[in-house]
Amino acid sequence: MNRVHFKKIALLFLVATLNLLTVSHSFGQNVSVSATVDKNHLSLEDVLQLSIIIKGTQNTPPPELPSLPDFRIVSAGTSSSTQYINTQRSVSITHNFRLTPMNTGTFVIGPARVRANGKTYSTQPITIKVEKPATQGTIGNKNAFVVTSLSSKKAYIGEQLIYTFRLFHRVDAKNLNLKLPFDKAWFSKEELGEPKSYIKVINGMQYHVQELSTALFPLKVGQHEIAPSVIDLDLLHPSQSRSRRDPFGQFFGRRTQAEHKVLRSKPIPIEILSLPDGAPKGFENLIGQFEISAKPGKNNLEVGDTTTLTVTISGKGNVRDISLKEPPLKGYFKIYPDKPEFHQTVQDNQIFGKKVFKFALVPLEAGNRILPKFSLPYFDSAKSQYRVVETQPISLTIRPSAAKEELNLVQSGKQNIPAPKPEIETLGRDILPIFTKLEKFQNTRTDPHSLTFLGTGFGSPMILFLLAAFLIKQQKRMKHDVAYYRRRNAYKNATQRLKQMSSFEHSDSKEFGRVLSEILREYIGNKLNLPGKATTAEEVEIRLKESDYESANMTRKFLDKCETLQFAPIASGSTKELLGESENLIKLLEKQS
Amino acid sequence: MKFSNSFSLILLFALILFTSLPTNASEHLQEIVRANDLYSEKNYTKSAQAYESLIDKGVHNGYLYYNLGNTYIRMGKTGPAVLNYIRARKWIPRDENLEANLKFAIQQTQDKIELPPQGTLGTLFFWVNDFNLSELINIAMILNMVFWAALALWMCFRIAPLKIARNALLGFLLLSLFSIGVKLINKSDLDLGVVLAKRVEVKSGRADDAVTLFQLHEGALVKISDSHENWLEVRLNDEQKGWVPKTAIGT
Repeated sequence: MNRVHFKKIALLFLVATLNLLTVSHSFGQNVSVSATVDKNHLSLEDVLQLSIIIKGTQNTPPPELPSLPDFRIVSAGTSSSTQYINTQRSVSITHNFRLTPMNTGTFVIGPARVRANGKTYSTQPITIKVEKPATQGTIGNKNAFVVTSLSSKKAYIGEQLIYTFRLFHRVDAKNLNLKLPFDKAWFSKEELGEPKSYIKVINGMQYHVQELSTALFPLKVGQHEIAPSVIDLDLLHPSQSRSRRDPFGQFFGRRTQAEHKVLRSKPIPIEILSLPDGAPKGFENLIGQFEISAKPGKNNLEVGDTTTLTVTISGKGNVRDISLKEPPLKGYFKIYPDKPEFHQTVQDNQIFGKKVFKFALVPLEAGNRILPKFSLPYFDSAKSQYRVVETQPISLTIRPSAAKEELNLVQSGKQNIPAPKPEIETLGRDILPIFTKLEKFQNTRTDPHSLTFLGTGFGSPMILFLLAAFLIKQQKRMKHDVAYYRRRNAYKNATQRLKQMSSFEHSDSKEFGRVLSEILREYIGNKLNLPGKATTAEEVEIRLKESDYESANMTRKFLDKCETLQFAPIASGSTKELLGESENLIKLLEKQS
Repeated sequence: MKFSNSFSLILLFALILFTSLPTNASEHLQEIVRANDLYSEKNYTKSAQAYESLIDKGVHNGYLYYNLGNTYIRMGKTGPAVLNYIRARKWIPRDENLEANLKFAIQQTQDKIELPPQGTLGTLFFWVNDFNLSELINIAMILNMVFWAALALWMCFRIAPLKIARNALLGFLLLSLFSIGVKLINKSDLDLGVVLAKRVEVKSGRADDAVTLFQLHEGALVKISDSHENWLEVRLNDEQKGWVPKTAIGT
């Protein structure tokens, strides 16, 4: 184990020592700087590859390039290399630049300077010859070229021109960077949508075409030259090194070689003309072809009602800039203009526009009213003459308002939004009148909430309820409780029967005694809820005593007297005494119950 | 037979109760007509005297106070006008004319102090503000009567609808009694006063030489929170309060 560790440490030490030796050796290397180009002859369409190679060191700042006003310079990255040849180590770094020629001629790329190890090194100058690209006649032999065109070489100021840029390429093209150099002082421009792509055959060769169109509106009068459009792109040429029969090559895709190109179109001269004299009244530099129409929301309406007058202007040209004044209807209508709506379409590389103006009209007077015509003067560039288009007159029938109110209308922009309620101006404020109807003064009360009143109001229903509840309860008891019923009715029944007896003459004292005894025993039977009529006087006395009646003995004696009477008749006068005595006894018993 | 007799008795009692409620005060109507005529003739001073004399006699009627408020407005006395409108609100709280005229009268005052907002109870029992105390008591009385009647009926005929009616009436009765309680609480809490003097200085204490905290003008509405001898403690809000002589405030 220790042996293994020792071997590892020894190996590391060896590598480190070797490395130190080589590094120290590199410091001792001579630094040399050189510049190379991939070609000395090129056309304006080609790109020059400039490489600054620094040998002997890699720790240098980027080289300082000489002034090259005829080239557009773009850094293309760096690459470094380290080589060991017979234990000799050599290092280098290469800075690459892409130079796009802007002009033709012979140019000298001056020395580039590099600072390394405290010294300044310079490259040797390189002479480059830039020529014009091949002419149109040799297009057929090119892999890519560009063509620009203008819809007209002569145009009036403000007239719509279509500038079209087309890129033709036979091989694949990538990293496209197009610059359309329009002078803002001469033109205003509007994009015409996305670029189109199609295939076209020229001289029997098939080209892919990328087409981009822009609308230009001249702003100045005079001769002008539209500068060339420039496009940077990489053309991908198929590599010939791999056999077409190689199935793996076909499987993994064809190998391509990128060629960076800068393609320029030809400048286009143009003559911009001023508009001729004799412009009609109200002309506001509208150039193109236009149409105008007007339509009311409704032709028959009431005073105070609302209708929307829609004026539509459409055509080819700068429709966006069109403005329309309010119709001269003050005094007859209240007019509320809406924000115009603008729609733009592109057809056949031409801008067509439509602008819609809306006016909400509120008639103020009844009667038939003709809306004045809207006119639009413009310069027809196709016919080189001024023209005026007009709307048809519109007749409106305005009926008197159904409501006889004074108009004070407020109308918002759109017709479908109902008009807000009119605001009535308050002219003055005052109190509302006094009350005079006497019935309102009827309900006068000096002491509305006396305790008596409250007590009666709240207490009496409760008392009535308690009374009613008591009565109801009693009724129910009378109905269901036999003993109670008999007891409650005992006195009443007895007195009634005694009264009946008193109203008759009792000649038969025997019968009199029996009935009297029966009444008394029945009364006691009811009072004490005894079954049937109490049989004997002894039994009556016992029951009365059990129920704590003090007159039990007296009752027995009276019953005995009645029994005696049945067997020993008395004079009729005595019966009245007995009746009175029985009444008193029953009253006494009633009190004791 | 006896059952029907009992009911007759109850009905008789109820009839006596209703007929015993005082309803008319026709002896004052002639004087009211005279006061109204004086108002129509724009003899506002005499009209106000006539209305005041009726009130002094113990005639309390919301419309009477309202008319008196109108009379004072015509006389340019916003203080008594606001005071009488406030008094009228206790009797006819739902009257729209009264609300409008009270607002008008407040707008005529210099301080333009609006009526204080209702408290939590007032908000919870919102309907209480729309009834005067007398109306609430009458409603409670009627509910009380109907409830006991329903209870009695339920005792006789124990059927489900009567039970529901009994319970519902009990709920309404309790609610009406709570409403009366809320009205009474609000009445004591919101004891409003109206400044009758042209201008009154609200003092920090019950003395003429106390610091003047702020001034109020005729018709200003204040809450009266305390009373001591000839002084009333008035407050506009939690911060602004002080003492004013009783004579300067109408309640």
